Amino acid sequence: MIRISSSTIFNSNVTAMEQQQSRLFQTQQQLASGRRILTAADDPVAAARALVITQSDATNTQYTTNRNSARNIVSLSESALQGVTTLIQNVRTAAVDAGNGSYSDSDRRIIAAQLSGNLQELLGLANSTDGAGNFLFSGLQSKTQPFSETAAGVGYFGDGGQRNIQVSASHQIASSDSGADVFMRIKNGNGSFVTQPGANLGTGVISTGSLANPPPVLPLNNYSLSFTVTPGLPGAPDVTTYDVTDTTTATVISTGNAYTSGQAISFSGVQFSIQGAPANGDTFTVTPSVNESIFKTISDLIAVLNTPSPPAANGGTANLVNSLNRGLTNLDNALNTISTTQASQGLRLNEIDSLQTTGDQLGLQFKQTLSHLQDVDYNKAISELTQQQTSLQAAQQSFAKVSNLSLFNYL
Amino acid sequence: MASNIFTAAITGMNAAQYGITTTEHNISNASTPGFSRQQVLLAPNIAQQFGSGFVGQGVDVTGVRRIYDQFLTTQVLQEQTQASYLNSYHTSIAQIDNLLSEPVAGVSTTMQGFFDAMNGVANNPESVPSRQTLLGNAQATVNRFQSLDQQLTNIANGLTGQISASVKDINTYAKQIAALNVSIKRFTAGGQGQLPNDLLDQRDQLINQLNQQIKTTVLQQSDGSASVFIGSGQPLVIGDQAMSLQMVNSASDPSKTDIAYVAGGRTVTLQQSSLQGGNLGAFLSFRDQSLEPARNALGRLALGLATSINQQNQLGQDLNGALGRDLFRTAAPVVAQGAKNTGTAAVSAAITSVGNLTASDYQLKFDGTNYSMVRLSDNNVTNLGATLPQTIDGFTVNITAGAVAGDTFLIKPTANGARDIALLTTDPAKVAAGAPMRADAALTNLGAATISSGVVNSPPSAIPDPAHPLTDLNLRQPVSITFNNPPTSYNVTGTGTGNPTNVPYTPGSDISYNGWTVQVTGTPASGDVFNVASNVNGVGDNRNALLLAGMQTQNLMANGTANFGEIFSQLVGDVGAKTHELDVTSQAQNNIVIQTVAAQQAVSGVNLDEEAANLIRYQNAYQASAKAMQIANSMFAALLAINP
Repeated sequence: MIRISSSTIFNSNVTAMEQQQSRLFQTQQQLASGRRILTAADDPVAAARALVITQSDATNTQYTTNRNSARNIVSLSESALQGVTTLIQNVRTAAVDAGNGSYSDSDRRIIAAQLSGNLQELLGLANSTDGAGNFLFSGLQSKTQPFSETAAGVGYFGDGGQRNIQVSASHQIASSDSGADVFMRIKNGNGSFVTQPGANLGTGVISTGSLANPPPVLPLNNYSLSFTVTPGLPGAPDVTTYDVTDTTTATVISTGNAYTSGQAISFSGVQFSIQGAPANGDTFTVTPSVNESIFKTISDLIAVLNTPSPPAANGGTANLVNSLNRGLTNLDNALNTISTTQASQGLRLNEIDSLQTTGDQLGLQFKQTLSHLQDVDYNKAISELTQQQTSLQAAQQSFAKVSNLSLFNYL
Repeated sequence: MASNIFTAAITGMNAAQYGITTTEHNISNASTPGFSRQQVLLAPNIAQQFGSGFVGQGVDVTGVRRIYDQFLTTQVLQEQTQASYLNSYHTSIAQIDNLLSEPVAGVSTTMQGFFDAMNGVANNPESVPSRQTLLGNAQATVNRFQSLDQQLTNIANGLTGQISASVKDINTYAKQIAALNVSIKRFTAGGQGQLPNDLLDQRDQLINQLNQQIKTTVLQQSDGSASVFIGSGQPLVIGDQAMSLQMVNSASDPSKTDIAYVAGGRTVTLQQSSLQGGNLGAFLSFRDQSLEPARNALGRLALGLATSINQQNQLGQDLNGALGRDLFRTAAPVVAQGAKNTGTAAVSAAITSVGNLTASDYQLKFDGTNYSMVRLSDNNVTNLGATLPQTIDGFTVNITAGAVAGDTFLIKPTANGARDIALLTTDPAKVAAGAPMRADAALTNLGAATISSGVVNSPPSAIPDPAHPLTDLNLRQPVSITFNNPPTSYNVTGTGTGNPTNVPYTPGSDISYNGWTVQVTGTPASGDVFNVASNVNGVGDNRNALLLAGMQTQNLMANGTANFGEIFSQLVGDVGAKTHELDVTSQAQNNIVIQTVAAQQAVSGVNLDEEAANLIRYQNAYQASAKAMQIANSMFAALLAINP
């Protein structure tokens, strides 16, 4: 038998009740706050992990904000470029229309005036802003107006920089496109070379041409074709021949080639055709493609349309047709460049959307893990609370009974 | 014969009175701490020899003893001191645990806000409101670091008060024990073998209370006095002599107090390792093993964040087109001379790489020839050789001439990191969101090659800019990269490049000059030109902001093993784990104390039922003895009534 001292009975009962009260309080706090971990000491590993996951979750949410920002800017550029595409198509239609043989010089001047309006409109679109005064197509210099008219035509005053935005933990997406890439760096001609007539008097119209097989050694040299028309014998047609000269190296490639309208002309890896009847002394040149801005293309068209055509004896509308052809080719090139940019923007928007789905799922997972780590399991906690309550009541009631027992009560 | 009856009855009544008095004493002291129940010792008086045999002479009260078990009492002392230690440590560390666990009080939330705002700047670098938001969040982060540090410092200050109170208690108890020793010695000597039970209980109780402050060893002397020893055997009480403890400034760290032992006018600083158990031991352990490391860890995080952001901001270009500057003030390491240094050397320390910092303090020692560095968290010793400066764990230490063998210096690289962090600018333009240079393809380029915008190289650079040491002097000089014919090589022209020619072209490989790096990818055409130049008007550039924002998830701390958030969660986890451990062990220890005390009380404690029974017993004994006296009286009366 163990002797129990009276103070032990009191002390141990009080301690037991205190401990039970402390547990009850802890459970009640958990229920009241909804958190299983009240301080890190409750579950240090889970608490530390919860902090890390909270950060991951918050970062993931931030990427959503970033994606929205990127989507916003890309969409703005996309709609600006949509406007540009429509505009260039209008210009193209007008240019095709201007080739109508029945039009007079004054008819063409009206078209030129329309194109001038289009050019201003295009300038406005190229100088689009994001609504907060930041230019969309000026590269890194978002407060610098990228395009403005100078004596030498419309110039680009931005740079080639693209802004990237962090759209996921490991991925950045370009939200902007440089105006240089969209409006300026457009190769003229067929992308390899440009065919142009000289100050001709004949009716020769030259095609855009293409690279022949085998392809030329790059870079291309400059070439010149000069026509010689020898009057034929009476009753027979005139004999037209042409010489080909490499003007870069000043070497004659071939001479006295027989000319047939529409027949392919091919040398040094380039190939094109000339239709119509070149006059004696007419020349055509072949030069490597260079970059031509969409503004210059339209300005050139306007200039051509404003130039009166010479009388039929001096070639008539042949130069106009040649210039319109070249302009149409360049407009197509510009459309190509813009639609390439638009395609890239579409891909970026798609990517943002798919990252959004992934990010949402990731966020859901983070929240589930967090909840698992931190949140109280109500069923468990309530059952614990009930149990602890019962224990405490039992301790209190039994203490009240036991502490009443004393021999002194009977003395 | 009749007188014998009286004598025996009187001794019986006497004994019963003693018994009743002792029982009442027990009842009165039933809840007196440290009281041991007492018992009257009875023995029969020596019988008187008569012709017919030995006739009893009644009862003799030979003494009053306390029911006491030395072994159990010692055990209670041992368990009690450990319980006090664990309870105090737990109560103290729970303050930090509560502080760090509070989601709105921790730095995680504000750091997240800071980096979210940095992403906002990356999304809209030209927007002043988004920059303003960033500065607001930076200020909030700074405030949070400072306020956490302040609260830890408050805890430390409170702790100094507690240590002081504990030392006072110890000294008071020591004096009281010494005084009791004097009384006990005197009573023991004059008591003819009887012990002053209640004084002994009082002394035991005082030793018990002393023991709750500090772990003691008690030796009972034959003259009744008790000698009390603390630490590694320093006598605190010897007979009537009480020695004392004193708080002194630490010899190695002037910002800290140590405990010194004062005896005979001499003061000896006690090793912290020898001051174990009890509240005092807990306060010292908590201060050195939990509080300071927590403050250092917080400081390391603040330093790491501030320095990393500063360095990256310096590599960028602000909204005004100027090179970036520090955004945060960073704390310098704390250096302290050892109090016993005899040399005149001064030590300086500077942080060189925040990524390699630990949360520990360090001690630099000089042995006359060589320097060595002790990392105090794990006592790892690194020999630094005979010359300084040397770099260790992310900081460089240097010393002036005049060190003498035996000199020590304390270095706390991160201690004030959280206290001294501050935001250095209120100008939103100063956030260097862009890069100072940009690379661009010429509009006339015909090839399909593109050039990356470029990044500024991490320091050190080949020719640092004297006015801006992290970047290259020629960083913003215009440089051209021109492709040759055939375009398989290129020429570079520009100040600082050395104008190399015919550099072979590998698509996508790094091209680095003047402290920047760009990549050209794709097929260039001959004659294509790529220009690198100052990023004039580059207000829409977010290259540096992206790098700044990306620092949140980069493992920039703890030798590249953790990011900022993880460092904080490690701190929370470490403090939480220690608190949890102490919670469990202190509860277990409390239960052990309860059991040990119960065992001790089972022997020495007062049971009121038992005392009630004793009361009845002694009452009955008294009544019986009185009855015997009455019988003797009536016998005597009967005798007197006989008329011869």
